[in-house]
Amino acid sequence: MASKRTLKTLEPLGFIFPGVAILLIFVYYPLIQNFINSFFRFSAFSPSKIYVGFDNFKMLFQDSVVLTAIRNNVRYAIVSVLIQVCFGLVLASILEDKAFSKVAIIFRTTFFLPVLISVTVVCLLFSFVYNPMDGLLNRFLELAGLGSLARPWLGSSKTAIWATIAVSQWHSTGYIMMLFIVAIQKIPEELYEAAEIDGASKVRRFFMVTLPQVKEMFFVTSVVTVTGSFMVFNEPYILTRGGGPGTSSTTLAVHMYQSGFFKDMMGYASTLAVIIFLISAALAVVQLTAFKTGED
Amino acid sequence: MRKKFSAFLFVLLVAASLVGAQQKVTIKFFHRWPMEPRFSFFNQVVAEFEKQNPDIKIEMDSVVNDAYKEKIRVLVSSNNVPDVFISWSDTFAYNLVKSGRVKVLNDMLAKDKAFADSFIASQVKPFTFDGKTYGMPLTIDGKVFVYNKDLVSRAGVTTMPKTFDDLLAMLQKIRGAGMNPPLLEGLADAWAISHYQGTMLQRYMPAEVLAKDYAEATGEFTNPGYKVVLERFQKLVDFMGPNATSLTHTEARNLFLAGRLPVIYLQLAEFAFIKAANVKFEWDYFNFPAFADGRGDPGTLTGAPEGFMMSNTSKNPEAAEKFYKFLLSRENAAKFVKDVGAPVAIKGAVNATNAYPALIEAVNLINSVTGSTPWFDNAVNIKVADAFMRGSQAVATKDKTIDQVLRDVQNAAKIVASEAKK
Repeated sequence: MASKRTLKTLEPLGFIFPGVAILLIFVYYPLIQNFINSFFRFSAFSPSKIYVGFDNFKMLFQDSVVLTAIRNNVRYAIVSVLIQVCFGLVLASILEDKAFSKVAIIFRTTFFLPVLISVTVVCLLFSFVYNPMDGLLNRFLELAGLGSLARPWLGSSKTAIWATIAVSQWHSTGYIMMLFIVAIQKIPEELYEAAEIDGASKVRRFFMVTLPQVKEMFFVTSVVTVTGSFMVFNEPYILTRGGGPGTSSTTLAVHMYQSGFFKDMMGYASTLAVIIFLISAALAVVQLTAFKTGED
Repeated sequence: MRKKFSAFLFVLLVAASLVGAQQKVTIKFFHRWPMEPRFSFFNQVVAEFEKQNPDIKIEMDSVVNDAYKEKIRVLVSSNNVPDVFISWSDTFAYNLVKSGRVKVLNDMLAKDKAFADSFIASQVKPFTFDGKTYGMPLTIDGKVFVYNKDLVSRAGVTTMPKTFDDLLAMLQKIRGAGMNPPLLEGLADAWAISHYQGTMLQRYMPAEVLAKDYAEATGEFTNPGYKVVLERFQKLVDFMGPNATSLTHTEARNLFLAGRLPVIYLQLAEFAFIKAANVKFEWDYFNFPAFADGRGDPGTLTGAPEGFMMSNTSKNPEAAEKFYKFLLSRENAAKFVKDVGAPVAIKGAVNATNAYPALIEAVNLINSVTGSTPWFDNAVNIKVADAFMRGSQAVATKDKTIDQVLRDVQNAAKIVASEAKK
């Protein structure tokens, strides 16, 4: 009888075990190993490591590329929150409005379609769009009489990062919009009816009903977007060939990759990975506290 | 019943032994050309080898250029080294050799003189370190200025430049005739920059200064000549116009193929693209001209071979060696020339029956030059090369000065030297 009871207490542990094991092996072990690696200098060519203490961290503070990368990541985060989260919410709210109910499905599909295309394909596509000589964008500007605005978008250090950020917005806004649509559909209709009876305009209804009701989703999407912005890799790596020209459009993840796999400084790359982890963890905690989520 | 059972057992036993006898030896083969026409070439070579050797199975894998560089480094540092794999020469090869897992070929070459002698000797040197040969070359290459004869003659240029100043004058003349840019390179590709700079450094700097600086332990890059070379490279970049930093080498080459670009710096292996494009214009080429005040040998050609290496941890070294020799046989090299249209390091493989005239001329050029200069990004440690390449991009976009770039280069050299000494 006692053994049956023990079995009963052990049963839930059995269910938890595979999940915990996978988490330990694939998330926590590499994380800890990465922390340890950041104190070593080693090459991908050889399995031997040399302990260097805090040398990699010292190098990090002297590396001017890190500052450029952080600045670019911050730009990414700000623009992504403004466009993907804020504008995505506005789009969702417009498409969920009764006035658009007949055409909403067409727009919803159109805005969501880019999400289904692989980032690599999107980047290749936009490298044609941005081509300075035959690209769609410059040609369009010239046709519209705005030829003076035409420029080598990816080849100038002033525009390369913004051109890269723009591609990400085009690619991901539809996804966040879809998440907001789901959240808005869950809002009880009575709230809108009550607001309408009280004479609230559409804009006021958005601010007084929609916004507070999708607060949780707003939090989730902004955490995902901001942390995603600090890990962005594909777009700058493909569009500007690893953060060029020079290092003007590099991000932390690209710098980490270049340091590890191109310059063969695996220890330093681990240090950069630690910094990326600390920044994204800190941001998540800040957002968690700011939104006070889970209290509703 | 018992009889039936015994018979069944007997049949099972025979079947099992037959399966055992037919068990194939597997050789892992890794290269960097998953694109046509090279991909088909290697598929056909592997199929033919398997047909001739039914007991050997070749497991072929391939990834493109940059991904290959990363993957082969990881594989060589692990215990999972492919039996036969491709490598660039010089520093890249040396880095793989340092892992201690690349097979020394001296014994094999001593035993098989005919095989050893079938290669152009100068092209084996970049795979030889401290008297030990670790790889044998398949492809050979060189970098030359290719020009569109129609466009260039329309601009009134009749003689090709002998010096760097002549080259600048020629580009100026072409631009003056309304063809802008007269010269273009896809500066978004960092390696394309290194091809220019490697040649220019070799032409301008004394060989002993380069030898000292290119060596990891002694590199300083403090000679004032580096600044002169970067300034002169910038003069070429000025001719390329503002779009160069956003274009790739392939895009620049496509402009040349479309007859929209008068001059471009191309690899001999890229002649195949010109031929395949069936261009409507006449074209020719010339080696990078000399600097009037240069101290390096102006007769050399920049370019390096790529070849195959073998693992010294292979479980089936005999089968691997058999495949290795098959891969680099004169027949297959000749097939490579015919199918791919690029020059090879195997003597007699490029001939009138399988190559177009420009390719034969290209091989003659490689054989006639006074020496070959390795690709810069293979000649120096990649940290130093990166500082040069990324820095030059930043100079092109006016974000850095040449002095700042040189400071970055010197700092990178310090790190490399300190690592080499430890």
